[in-house]
Amino acid sequence: MALILGIESSCDETAAALVTSEREILAQRIASQDDAHRPYGGVVPEIAARAHAERLAPLIQATLADAGRSLDDVDAIAATAGPGLIGGVMVGLVTGKALAMAGNKPLIAVNHLEGHALSPRLADPALQFPYALLLVSGGHCQILRVEGVGQYRRLATTIDDALGEAFDKTAKILGLGYPGGPKVEKLAATGDAKAVRLPRPLLGSSEPHFSFAGLKSAVLRAKESGDHRDQDIAASFQEAAIDCVIDRLKHSLPELEGATALVVAGGVAANQAMRGALEQFAETNGMPFTAPPLQLCTDNAAMIAWAGAERHADGQSDPLDFTARPRWPLDPNAEPARGAGVKA
Amino acid sequence: MLGRGHAEHLIPMIARLPHQGRADRIAVSLGPGSFTGVRIGLAAARALALAWGADVIGYPTLALIAAMARNEAGDQPVTVVMTGGHGEWFLQNFDAFGEPDAPLASLRPQDASNTANATLVAGSQAEALCALRKKGHALPLLPDARQFPLLAEGVLVPEPAPLYGRPPDAKIPD
Ligand SMILES: Nc1ncnc2c1ncn2[C@@H]1O[C@H](COP(=O)(O)OP(=O)(O)OP(=O)(O)O)[C@@H](O)[C@H]1O
Repeated sequence: MALILGIESSCDETAAALVTSEREILAQRIASQDDAHRPYGGVVPEIAARAHAERLAPLIQATLADAGRSLDDVDAIAATAGPGLIGGVMVGLVTGKALAMAGNKPLIAVNHLEGHALSPRLADPALQFPYALLLVSGGHCQILRVEGVGQYRRLATTIDDALGEAFDKTAKILGLGYPGGPKVEKLAATGDAKAVRLPRPLLGSSEPHFSFAGLKSAVLRAKESGDHRDQDIAASFQEAAIDCVIDRLKHSLPELEGATALVVAGGVAANQAMRGALEQFAETNGMPFTAPPLQLCTDNAAMIAWAGAERHADGQSDPLDFTARPRWPLDPNAEPARGAGVKA
Repeated sequence: MLGRGHAEHLIPMIARLPHQGRADRIAVSLGPGSFTGVRIGLAAARALALAWGADVIGYPTLALIAAMARNEAGDQPVTVVMTGGHGEWFLQNFDAFGEPDAPLASLRPQDASNTANATLVAGSQAEALCALRKKGHALPLLPDARQFPLLAEGVLVPEPAPLYGRPPDAKIPD
């Protein structure tokens, strides 16, 4: 059995976790920076990077203490090396490198998205490759075919906003504050999803991708019209977003032939209405549906440790001069989607 | 002196030292310098300390330059001036005993020129500052970690916090 230390610092959560190759999470800690960024209505990269640098080493020490382990007991160090806010990524990666070098342990430079992509296998030992993955977070919105560790085929991505970003922007428009996803969901539960007519961008389109910019603009217009209750806007937005996701999954179905399951990961996977719709979609199409537990959906270090465990078991490691990557697509061969820019 | 471009060399460099650099006490520059360089150095020092059970102490970069200047030019007051961000310079005056007069400041060149109070000026912008003031003796020194032993115990910081020298670039929306 191998013991992996995972480090995550690519956005606004500083996190460390100890995970075994037997899927046991011995300890994990997450220090959220929500309070530091809230006045700005979004994550400020330099503030995030400073906070990671302050907190990470003590957090790792506390995580080891929680598990009653020392660094000597650890078999490999897995640190997020991108994609994400580069200042924070560099702090986590140099910390991982220093621990690996000083302790003579292998370093595993983990793609944050691979952490999300493999997290369902940490929660569900029965989940076999290949599986269909809907990755919906603050920075990403993709449909992937996961063939194996390190083998991903991207079938769809967003040409503008990520889904979590659309939730966050809707929250901002409705004055709900940051971070907005959970607040929109809560408000939506009390509203009427049929009350506000909102567009479903790219619904039925022959290209496989997502688009949410038009939906966000429509939410802004609905709010500014003064004709609607906020809870109705929230509910109508959420329903439109879910309709888009289901339609895009339908479009990708032929490419998902042979997938053992439909899996959702990323922060928006915490959304219960989304989960319900996905579960129904999977059932209709004769696929089992899996979603990792909520604490594995949003950014965390257990998923990074687990991706490290999968790669360690495969005999992989990375050199100490590995460079942090602000952009790092899971599928380097995927055709760029029009206008996708950084989110591809 | 670490920027974004060469941060990946830090750990391999330490790994090439005798005994992979293993030490009981790790001294790290607190800055100011590039924001990235400051925090990468400190993050690495803290991680190494955790792994080796070592202590970390910090030293202000400008104090090191002041000590290097005094080592070269003799004990006398010195103004240290380094390139900062957004066209500003980091400046700090040190007295004849090597103690800082006032906290470090990030200033526009003209304000830096008005604030500088020593004849001896050291640092990456020393020549530019002397040219602006039309006086002074410039020592264009860069911080060199090997000169660490020149530092007085008094400037060492036992629980080091970074000296970024400037707040993050962010405005609270209205
Ligand atoms: N209950 C919810 N309903 C909808 N969205 C949610 C919910 N909970 C969280 N989110 C959204 O999930 C996102 C955060 O997810 P996560 O932490 O995985 O992503 P990230 O770090 O922002 O991006 P990435 O992982 O792509 O770098 C935010 O946009 C947030 O609004």
